[in-house]
Amino acid sequence: MSMTPANDAARRPSVLHIFKVYYPDLFGGTLSVIRDICAGVKDMFAAAVLVCSKSAGDRQIVVNAVPVERVPSFGDVLSLPMAPTYPWRLWRRIAEHDLLALHAPFPLADLVFAFGLGRSRPLVVHWHADIVTHAWLRRLVEPLMRRTLARAEAIIVSDPVLISSTPLLREFAAKCHAVPFGIDVSKYDWPPNRRAPVNARGRLVLACGRLVPYKGFEVLLRAAQGQDFEVWIVGEGRERPHLEQLIRELRLDDRVRLLGGVSDSELAKLMRVADVFVMPSVTNAETFGLVQLEAMAAGRPVINTALDTAVPRVARDGLEAITVPPRDPEKLAEAINTLIADPERRRRMGEAARHRAATHYSKATFRAGIERVYRHAVAAGAARTARAQTVGLVAAIKIAAALAWSDMRHRYVRSLLGPFWMSIQMAIMVGVLGSVIGHFSNQGTLSHLPMLALSLTAWTFLNSVVLDATTALQGSASLIKDRALPPAIFLLQCTFRQALFALHNACVPLILWLLLTPGKVDGIVEALPGFALFMACALALSLVLGALATRFRDLKPIIESSLTLAFLASPIVWSPEMLNRSSTIMRLNPVTHLFAVWREPLSTGHLALGSLVYVLGCFAVLALASLLTVAHLRKAAFWI
Amino acid sequence: MAKLSLSNVSLDYPLYGAYDLSIKRRLLGRVLREASTMRTLRALDNITLEATAGARIGLFGPNGSGKSTLLRLLAGVYPVSSGRLEISGSVMPLLGLNSGVNPDFTASDNISLLLRIGGRRPTQALIDEIWAFTELEDRMRQLPLRMFSSGMQMRVLFAVATVFPADILLLDEWLSVVDENFSVKAEQRLLKLVSMASIVIIASHDQGLLRRTCTSIVRLEQGRLTSILPVDPNSAHPLGLRESA
Repeated sequence: MSMTPANDAARRPSVLHIFKVYYPDLFGGTLSVIRDICAGVKDMFAAAVLVCSKSAGDRQIVVNAVPVERVPSFGDVLSLPMAPTYPWRLWRRIAEHDLLALHAPFPLADLVFAFGLGRSRPLVVHWHADIVTHAWLRRLVEPLMRRTLARAEAIIVSDPVLISSTPLLREFAAKCHAVPFGIDVSKYDWPPNRRAPVNARGRLVLACGRLVPYKGFEVLLRAAQGQDFEVWIVGEGRERPHLEQLIRELRLDDRVRLLGGVSDSELAKLMRVADVFVMPSVTNAETFGLVQLEAMAAGRPVINTALDTAVPRVARDGLEAITVPPRDPEKLAEAINTLIADPERRRRMGEAARHRAATHYSKATFRAGIERVYRHAVAAGAARTARAQTVGLVAAIKIAAALAWSDMRHRYVRSLLGPFWMSIQMAIMVGVLGSVIGHFSNQGTLSHLPMLALSLTAWTFLNSVVLDATTALQGSASLIKDRALPPAIFLLQCTFRQALFALHNACVPLILWLLLTPGKVDGIVEALPGFALFMACALALSLVLGALATRFRDLKPIIESSLTLAFLASPIVWSPEMLNRSSTIMRLNPVTHLFAVWREPLSTGHLALGSLVYVLGCFAVLALASLLTVAHLRKAAFWI
Repeated sequence: MAKLSLSNVSLDYPLYGAYDLSIKRRLLGRVLREASTMRTLRALDNITLEATAGARIGLFGPNGSGKSTLLRLLAGVYPVSSGRLEISGSVMPLLGLNSGVNPDFTASDNISLLLRIGGRRPTQALIDEIWAFTELEDRMRQLPLRMFSSGMQMRVLFAVATVFPADILLLDEWLSVVDENFSVKAEQRLLKLVSMASIVIIASHDQGLLRRTCTSIVRLEQGRLTSILPVDPNSAHPLGLRESA
């Protein structure tokens, strides 16, 4: 006997890397970190990447043997990709992986986690930087980021100082792990035949990074004014026109070059020929400066800025670097000139830098650190999910749908007509009521019949969903207590089951409409949102009342009589026009408006805005009550 | 790796008397300043238990000692009132075999339904595999389940319940109704399932069965854990089923 669906023990757990952009759309520090993680832990973890892309190319590509899914984006606003389908794609992808690695900041993904989706999988947040440039945006998304961090198993930062200097991370210090980035120093070795690490007359200053304001290249240009060193800047970005204009204004055309994007091997070569490497970043968005680590690996002395991040800790002032205040062109020029004038100091600092890169920031340590955090997260996540809920939302809906479908089939097992028996009953009721109402209404009876039948179908649905829900949990006691299924499934099952029966009943209004007022289709589209709201309210009402009626058994008769009263007090069989003026009770009665939101567009072609607002308000209250109910529904096992 | 740990876990089971289930009485009681009469029963009292991969724990005790309650607590049916419960690994509760069964449906429809309740897609191959295990005639598949004898029903339900392995298996009074012939096969399948699951917890009145299948036997009395006895593998039962797994 085979047990086919058993877990394959040899399968590597898979990690989904979540970020806003990936190769080949962009190059940069964060991306090379993601690439290094994918390659570094590939023996233990399979990797996949989900990002946004505004290029029209393939949606599924492979970069360095890692599958990359690119969600279409309209472009960036405030350095955030405008990809409306990203949260949806992310939510759909989550179940396929064993671990989620979010590379923050990325509010679009926070949106998914903040709303509690994807709880079934453990999450590790790689904290690359805070949102520094747009303070108001940060205030807006901070609650989302906090919820994401609260839900994460672990937070990885590149240096311990980031934990103490970032208020948001301080709240979660216990789960922060400092794993410094790593670099392969041998990639920057000089070819053995050409060893000339320090140029005695050196005056070549190199800088590298995306051309964006926080990188501080403007400060570097201002520092170069009136000096005689050369500046080469590697990188592309939206600041380019601005920088080019500045170069012209400061008359630096002959000494400053914007090299654009270059390949990794080309950059390594440039690092080796440069005399001084400068990283003039001006804000805390620069958390580590992977590029200064590359310069250190190439044995270059570094000039960096005194930010509150890891930047001055990677290359330390006086040892591997000269640290200058950010946004200070004079101090920067002074530091550059000091190094250019002193080849011996350049050599000494370069050697110290290379030594530090090789010993403190080795790739092997980085990989081992990431692997350890990932492994713990997967293990801890497995423990947490087993404790919390064994059945996810999608699975719960599927089970409820399967149960409802089987309930409907059960009706057919017992009789040939199945639920159509009820439809016949409905048809008779419509006929009788229609003729009675026709007597005290001036309008033509026949043209009113389809609407009467539709209203009755809808009312029967609402009525049965609520009544059904009051006994549903007791009826499913064994599934709740013996199979440990969440009780909410069985309340959901009521709505699904009654919706299936309502579809049978809907034959009556459908036939009447085809016979009596064919071709009258206006208002159907306008009625759909109202109808969706009607269904949502029915579901929420069944959740709340179903749970309450299980807890308090004497509520069921009260609910029953209230429903009868509501039927009589609401314009379901009679229409408001039949009365000369609508009464206060009718105007306050939520059922009136619950029907008006979809009946009004059908009969008049216009949206009933007042009713829509009223129903939306009711729905908001019901939705809140449903959330509370579902949160407490685990106790239902005690009540049944 | 599957792991299960309970430290000082207690469960207070609320006892709802006739008045506690009435909202009128609740509201009236508040008006009349009547003291709330809600009482609780300590169904599980200060239970500490550890199980790592490979553990097979038998729960033994008289009726009402808390065996089923403990299994339900582990399955997540009841929330823990106090103490700490940590579970890593997927939990498969097989507490009532016939829950979710519709006797009016045919056997194969019931199999599909039960698989869906378990969150699995019922493929034809899977249903065929389950049916092959029951050793029932092929034409019976299309008969309503209520026409099956209780032993035959149990075969079908057992075959469905045990088709997927789990990390942690919770069993309550298994194999009580199946006929002699099937019992051996069922026991073998359970033993195979047990050997694939990391942790198995079985509640039973049958001490012989527990001795054959478990590595330790936990005795419960009135919700309290009175003893944990390791089963000595040397005093193996003549059937020696544990070794044959």
